[in-house]
Amino acid sequence: MILTLSFVLIGLAVLFSLIRLFKGPTVFDRILAADTLAVITTALLVLMSLLFSRVIYMDVALVYVVLGFVGVVVVARYLEGGL
Amino acid sequence: MLYLLSFLVLAMLGVGIAIIFVKDILNAVILSTVVSLVASIIFLYIASPDVAITEAAIGAALTTVVFVIAIKHTKSKETSDKE
Repeated sequence: MILTLSFVLIGLAVLFSLIRLFKGPTVFDRILAADTLAVITTALLVLMSLLFSRVIYMDVALVYVVLGFVGVVVVARYLEGGL
Repeated sequence: MLYLLSFLVLAMLGVGIAIIFVKDILNAVILSTVVSLVASIIFLYIASPDVAITEAAIGAALTTVVFVIAIKHTKSKETSDKE
């Protein structure tokens, strides 16, 4: 019951982030939507680990949340003019 | 749980079609990050977490860094025509 409700809420969050990702007029909107989508996806991966009762699935969420940070920082540094 | 897989595949297809239609090339790089993210979730869903870890590491961090550095070191078509 609570697991289904969590999946529905995460699905709605992914849907709204995808709308901003498609519509976003500037690059900043799209990079912000992609970063939000990475955070929501980390919650989804942990929830799937709970659903399938596998501990090894939690490592995917760990690797993604560490490395997804790098891409956002690189694009932000490029927009800033550094890099 | 077939709804989750259908939603993921449709989201991946939508983002992949949106890559074709965006004008700025940096937007295409950000959207390809999202395609890799959804692919990682699908790999996790079909019970292969090691492939999902590799896809998350390469798609989130390495591809974005390489593409942004390549955009940084090349010129767009309009600026090279003016010079």
